Amino acid sequence: MQPDPEDASPAATSGPAGATLPDEEALLRVRGLQKIYPADAGPVEAIRDLTFDLGRGELTCLVGPSGSGKTTLLKCIAGLMSTSDGDVALGGKTITGPPKNMAVVFQEYGRSLFPWLRVGANVELPLKNAGTPRARRKELVDEALEAVGLEHVHKSYPWQLSGGMQQRVAIARAIAYQPEVLLMDEPFAAVDAQTRADLEDLIRSVWKKLGVTILFVTHDIDESVYLGQRVIMLSSSPTVIQDDIAIDLPAERTQLETRSDPRFTELRHHVYEQIQQAKQGFRPRGA
Amino acid sequence: MTRGSRGRPRSGDPAWRAPLLGLAGIAGSLLIWELLPRAGVIDGRYLPPASEVIAAAIGNLGSSIFWSDVYDTMLAWAVGLSLAALTATATGLLVGMSPFLRRYTHSTIEFLRPIPSVALIPLAVLLFGIGIESALMLIIYACFWQVLIQVLYGVADVDTVAMNTARSYGFSPLQRVRDVVLPTVLPYFMTGIRLAAAVALILAITAGLVIGSPGLGSAISRAQQGGAITGMYALILATGILGVLINLAARWVERRALSWHTSVRAELAA
Amino acid sequence: MSIARRLLSTALALFALPVLLLAVWWGYTLGGSSFFVPEPVQLADTFVNTWITGERLTEDVLPSLQRLVLGLFLAIVLGVLLGLLVGLNKTARSLTEPVFEFFRALPPPVLIPVLMLTIGVGTEMQVAVIVSGCLWPVLLNTIEGVRGVDPVQSETSRAYGITGFSRIRHQLLPGAAPPIMAGVRQTLSIGLILMVISEMFATSSGLGFTIVQFQRSFAIPEMWSGIVVLGMIGVALSFIFQFVERRVLRWYHGLKEVENAA
Repeated sequence: MQPDPEDASPAATSGPAGATLPDEEALLRVRGLQKIYPADAGPVEAIRDLTFDLGRGELTCLVGPSGSGKTTLLKCIAGLMSTSDGDVALGGKTITGPPKNMAVVFQEYGRSLFPWLRVGANVELPLKNAGTPRARRKELVDEALEAVGLEHVHKSYPWQLSGGMQQRVAIARAIAYQPEVLLMDEPFAAVDAQTRADLEDLIRSVWKKLGVTILFVTHDIDESVYLGQRVIMLSSSPTVIQDDIAIDLPAERTQLETRSDPRFTELRHHVYEQIQQAKQGFRPRGA
Repeated sequence: MTRGSRGRPRSGDPAWRAPLLGLAGIAGSLLIWELLPRAGVIDGRYLPPASEVIAAAIGNLGSSIFWSDVYDTMLAWAVGLSLAALTATATGLLVGMSPFLRRYTHSTIEFLRPIPSVALIPLAVLLFGIGIESALMLIIYACFWQVLIQVLYGVADVDTVAMNTARSYGFSPLQRVRDVVLPTVLPYFMTGIRLAAAVALILAITAGLVIGSPGLGSAISRAQQGGAITGMYALILATGILGVLINLAARWVERRALSWHTSVRAELAA
Repeated sequence: MSIARRLLSTALALFALPVLLLAVWWGYTLGGSSFFVPEPVQLADTFVNTWITGERLTEDVLPSLQRLVLGLFLAIVLGVLLGLLVGLNKTARSLTEPVFEFFRALPPPVLIPVLMLTIGVGTEMQVAVIVSGCLWPVLLNTIEGVRGVDPVQSETSRAYGITGFSRIRHQLLPGAAPPIMAGVRQTLSIGLILMVISEMFATSSGLGFTIVQFQRSFAIPEMWSGIVVLGMIGVALSFIFQFVERRVLRWYHGLKEVENAA
């Protein structure tokens, strides 16, 4: 049952559980997570049993067919939704509500930014709320907006910006909050392809610069392989882990070269196969 | 499931919960009303218990005087609202479709609109005394602006592309109004009518209370002056129920008109 | 040249019709033939003598306005606070909705005889009348606004630890501001109506009382000048509201414009 975290060979399926780490390396631990929704026609089991760890400073992508409970899982980790069984712990402490050192970037950037606040104020609000002193706040906001290449739009309202720029603002808000863990829920699903590629590179550069731990949920297989150091694949509902692989591509990635790397194609192929199997209802051993 | 789970999970509330709670709320309010005078918190002479007022209100249902008051109030309401709607719609279409008129009447409309219609009460009394015309004057003045403004918004919302298309196909001005302008204006007009319906009732009652025009308002005023406090509360209860019925009816009509409207548009688009 | 022309054209658009209407009015009253309608110059004269140089300004107009402003202020504050409390709780919402709908539908002037009985005649009664009539549009619109707040915005608040009072201030109130302001707009005209008729009904001072006195003593120009004062208060309230609304909801109008352009 216990998979070997070192085993990165895409051919080897690691079983129903995701990679776990020794205590001192793991920042986020998910153990036996189950989520059951009450519904008119009786309870619905969205997530059956999920176990995995995120190491400190890791960039992990989570992919799964639509309906595999990706968003549900993310909300449970973020403390926005209670679990039915099992638990999620951040730095050894079980999560019961949204933790202070965690930030979330939502897919619906247009609705997640507050339209009555200007860009600068949107980024600043969580800091203001946390009681960060004014001077430090200004520093953090400026740095964050600069990091996403938006130092010139402080005074604009979010709805005056393009979709891609709005999502950059949402990312800046998350960065300025200085989280240890950054959760992203299909953040680029609603932007056009060119913007999407730019934003992917932005995430890689921010991650390298800040050393933050990122869990990136996506339904896009190419995106998961291009972005992640590791890709966790989910089965269809009721959800278990289909597979968990390390992405052994070089740390320096570019849209043009990485995507034409034969290794990229191999990994992509493997993830694609797993997702196809998941869609057809194939489930890993023991699930 | 991802799409489904994106929204809030179903809270498992059955459909009958909200109406049942609503009924409980009404029952609770009536109970408090019953107990306040009975426990002596409020003097029963000033606020009789709910049971007595409700009994009196039910008793009113068999009284021809009550029904004649309801008739007078509703007559003023209906006539006033209709006349206001007609004149405001005609004015709105005329002004709205002419850039010249729109520009030159704007300041006057913005200035006359906020004048409270109750300011006209003394004038109405001088001109018409306690007749129904006094009530009509107040109602028409107040409702006219409500409908006019909405019709103006509606005409401003008319799609220029649709208008130019109609023009290029040689539609006559009358056809353009019927086939392009009116369908766009309709939802705005309905909103104006819904707002005006509530305002018209307020002024029909006010005219009765303050001027003495026939209807529920003057009946309330008579009951108060005659010391028939329970009767007064029963009449007030009746005006409230009338108000609720008017709101419900206005919303129903608006929804009907709008659903017709959107379905027709959807058919055209398909 | 072109700026001067544009200014002239704007001034023409603003004043042409009002001047025309004044001229018609003046022409109509020229022979002194109408008993009910004073001529413009006479009315202006009466207006100044009655309301500006006389004692009416301090004895009738200002006290009326104070009651109106106090009543509106209390109604808005109370309506928003109660609306937040009820709007945030689903059970409270279902429980109170029909009762609140009844009070919204109840024509507010009928509250005057009720409050005259329970509170007695006087300033408190007049303020109470304004509060109890003006509360409902603000209250119900606040409930609606809080209920309709975007769930993604709410999750964002939670995820970033913006909870409790901070959430009310930074998310709920601004998010619910458009319907709240619509409620305030309705409430202003109801407040003015209630101010006037509560004074016509049961006091010996105030604008409404004075105007009715003029009418009863057939002081026609004075009566008209009182109508003008009420009109001016209505216009002033409406302009103040529009000014405030444009500031508070600047983001909202901008957002709608972007959405409509798309």
